[in-house]
Amino acid sequence: MSINLTVRKLLDFLIRKRHWFLFILLEIISILLIYRSNAYQRNIIFSTANVVFGKVISVSGNVYAYLHLKEVNKELLERNGELEMAVLHLQDQIEAMVADTVRFSGFVPVDSVDHFPYSFITARVVNNSVAKIFNYITLDKGRKDGVAIDMGVVSERGVVGIVSTVSDHYSVVLPVLNPKFRLSGKVLGSSYFGLLSWNRRSTRYANLDELPRHVDFQEGDTIITSGYSAVFPEGLMVGTVSSFRKQNDDNFYSLEVQLATDFHTLKNVKIIRNYDQAERRKLEEEARAHD
Amino acid sequence: MGTIYFIILVLVQVLILNNIHFFRVAIPFLYLYFILKLPVGTSRSLVVFLSFLTGLVIDIFSNTPGMHAAACTLTGFLREGIIELFMGKDLVEGVFPSYRTFRFGGFVKYIFTCVVLHHTALFMIESLTFFDPLFLTLRIVSSVILTTLLICTIEAFNIESQKSGE
Repeated sequence: MSINLTVRKLLDFLIRKRHWFLFILLEIISILLIYRSNAYQRNIIFSTANVVFGKVISVSGNVYAYLHLKEVNKELLERNGELEMAVLHLQDQIEAMVADTVRFSGFVPVDSVDHFPYSFITARVVNNSVAKIFNYITLDKGRKDGVAIDMGVVSERGVVGIVSTVSDHYSVVLPVLNPKFRLSGKVLGSSYFGLLSWNRRSTRYANLDELPRHVDFQEGDTIITSGYSAVFPEGLMVGTVSSFRKQNDDNFYSLEVQLATDFHTLKNVKIIRNYDQAERRKLEEEARAHD
Repeated sequence: MGTIYFIILVLVQVLILNNIHFFRVAIPFLYLYFILKLPVGTSRSLVVFLSFLTGLVIDIFSNTPGMHAAACTLTGFLREGIIELFMGKDLVEGVFPSYRTFRFGGFVKYIFTCVVLHHTALFMIESLTFFDPLFLTLRIVSSVILTTLLICTIEAFNIESQKSGE
């Protein structure tokens, strides 16, 4: 009798407090989601890489794209002008060299052109955030267009980020403006490299840490990618040095880098496909395994 | 009626408000309006579940799985308690929270408390990976002010809310 009463009381209590259990359950689910999204490879269902949600964002992205056509056009024209100048400059150099070189036409090179393992996929930005701490960019190209995880993304001006999630038609990019982003960079003209990461406050600046103290540079010097990761080829523009200071342990410099890419006006980007990436990664993993 | 509210608020949030950030620190989270306007006396389990759902949808669009969901679930869970705290238990079941039913002071206090709760939880979760107390406080305070102002203004213009209830 008394046991029966206790059980009933217990049941009564459980039913009366059922919103407590629901609350705890849902919070656990949320925390699991947060925890899982902290991994570098992210969940496709719960992000804008999802087809349905990507579509909604993409429609609004279309509208924004039209509103910004004028600026994009201007930027392209400027870039075009720069490239034309570069071509003229190179042609000039080639002519000077040709005049300098004695040519022997009997020589047939086996492999005259260096193997260049990179190609580009152009994509449009359909969603972009800059004000959060964990910022992400969604692009309108996905697996069907040849995009894969770990590909590098650049704009007309410089490095943007790395592809972190891919669905059939969309991909989500981990941009420089995300604490999880790391990039190996160096000062143009030197071969010492440092680690680039976002300073977490301003969308215009990032930090280049762990640069040895004996490296020579000045404010305004160009920072480029080092090519030490399989993601970006060497020599892509990252930004310019805006200030620097010694790091706490005194053997390294910490540089403040003004990013070349303006993340506020990002509209068109190129995704870099590296044909050798898989091979290189496999080799490096093998080397690590044998260690 | 509720479904239309939900869709409109979510779309406004993810397409427009998520891109607004005053001085790079304050983001208004208007979608809370949906949770806060659920009628008094809705079963607590339902409120908690709807809050979670709202948060999850916002999460998916903002690429922040779990963060909004966790903060919203907490807000939804404590909502009933906050209403009781400010208004007592003598409210008619099924009334919608508004200036008329809660009176001006009561409504603003109710909105403000919920918004503070939600934003504090949200920004805390967001900054778990690194800690910068000053910047965090600045973000919370400015966003709370912005969201509260926005919700109170929209409520003042919400004709539907003036005539319905009771």
